[in-house]
Amino acid sequence: MSKIVILGEVDNLEIKNISQQVAGVAAGMGDVIGVVIGKNVAEAGMKLAASKIVIAENDELEFYDSIKYSSIICQIVQKEEATAVLMGATSMGKDLGPRIAANLGWGYLGDCLEAGSDGFVRPTFAGKVLSKTVPTTKVVVSIRNNAYPAGESWSGSVENYSGEISASTLKTNSIEGLGNETVELTEARIVVSGGRGLENSENYDELIRPLASSLKAAAGASRAIVDAGWVPHSHQVGQTGKTVTPDLYLAIGISGAIQHLGGMSGSKFIAAINKDPDAPIFKVADYGIIGDLFEIIPVLKSKLEN
Amino acid sequence: MNIAVLIKMVPDTESKLEIVNGKLEESNFKYMVNPYDEFAVEQAVQFKEAVGGKVTLVSLFTDNNTIDTDLRKMIAIGADEVIVLRSKDYRGDKPSTNAEILAKKVKELNADLVLCGVQGIDYYQAATGPMLAQKLDIPNISGVTKLELNDNLITAHRQMEGGIQVIESQMPILISCQKDMTKVRFPALKDIMMSKRKPFENQTVDYEEEADIKQIECTLPPARGGGMIIEGETPEEKVDKLINILKMEAKVL
Repeated sequence: MSKIVILGEVDNLEIKNISQQVAGVAAGMGDVIGVVIGKNVAEAGMKLAASKIVIAENDELEFYDSIKYSSIICQIVQKEEATAVLMGATSMGKDLGPRIAANLGWGYLGDCLEAGSDGFVRPTFAGKVLSKTVPTTKVVVSIRNNAYPAGESWSGSVENYSGEISASTLKTNSIEGLGNETVELTEARIVVSGGRGLENSENYDELIRPLASSLKAAAGASRAIVDAGWVPHSHQVGQTGKTVTPDLYLAIGISGAIQHLGGMSGSKFIAAINKDPDAPIFKVADYGIIGDLFEIIPVLKSKLEN
Repeated sequence: MNIAVLIKMVPDTESKLEIVNGKLEESNFKYMVNPYDEFAVEQAVQFKEAVGGKVTLVSLFTDNNTIDTDLRKMIAIGADEVIVLRSKDYRGDKPSTNAEILAKKVKELNADLVLCGVQGIDYYQAATGPMLAQKLDIPNISGVTKLELNDNLITAHRQMEGGIQVIESQMPILISCQKDMTKVRFPALKDIMMSKRKPFENQTVDYEEEADIKQIECTLPPARGGGMIIEGETPEEKVDKLINILKMEAKVL
């Protein structure tokens, strides 16, 4: 049976849900070997749904380092003679995946929407085109969050990583929180996005953010209001921002330029609120309300909170 | 300081995307500078202005020279020269191959700092940068929103889930740039005129395919039809109907 190496990411002493999803996908492809890297990660690492778990625990592995982390995974892949490496398409996975592929001389498929023994589907052109591949060679794959049920935990064998830790010039000084408990756009089940219809940045802060927090949703934005400086780019959805695939995408005061639609049209359901009945957003929305967002959003928020 | 900036020419975001026999129809594409790469150019020029040095722009593309005008605009921001590696076989979705070819050139340039955009807005692999760093055996930091230089020390702020990782490193290093990193200047007329006299070198390269995925079948995502417009006399009535549908029909609340 072929061996699949997966990366188990730990956050707040827990295995990330995306890593368990990756484990679930890998279980359908072969024998799963989980690799967990960090400081104080052993306890959480053992919960990874893999038949064998390798823990690389060391003070100097506390923070993600492209050199150290990629070399550890490559050494394990070679020792185990694995034929694929899978990881979440997280900020770490998207950086690590290509580096590992280049190190091993394997193919790379980034940010896959669908993955499994029947092949891999990844979005290109911000989701306006889908590319399907059935690889015939060894591959490194990163898989997008929310796409799969988590793998089931079982107790496999656990061993400590015994290979080398490469020297690196990278040194992490700190991790700065973004200050508020915001939900990450690409991981959110619900996204509430605002656009130019909001008229100014104060309205974004007073209408979009509270609505998002009462829905436990992430707050998104159109390019227009990011360029206008109302919100940072980390909120931007679309071709030059993030591609999101939540269960519900709520577009408020967004007309729906093609570049924006590309970034969110993979959502399961789209609801739009806009005063312009001809706004292109209504061509992709499952549910639309034509009306003044300044009248509708306060009502929506208060009814959702009850 | 010697800075190399990698520039990818990508299909214009207005390009019509058509699929013929599982392949993307590319013959009508017009190309533009990948927007993330512009932040890299601006950052490189700011460093040059602060500490001196040379900024070389490196691009890899086909023999199509309609892109030259846009590349000249990048020199006008303040770069010193541009080198375009040309192969008629070039494709934007072959990160391993492209990283290998670009790595050879960057090595020749002996760059202290390599800057590129976080991803191409065509194939979104975000792969060429980290792959190139691996091939040059130098570290890389991806998705950087703020970059500082003190003597030979780089400090990068990297976007991650729920926070920012602040990393310090010696050079050489490769940094991939996020949108918030810099504000790209509009070059003055004088700089645009000057850019026409700066070196613009075309070099033909062999396009030997590396470990890239060969079998790719493209499709358009299922078209979304417009859905229902929720009618109602008052905002309250519309909102009630919407919440009800989201709960009962879509089951997402």
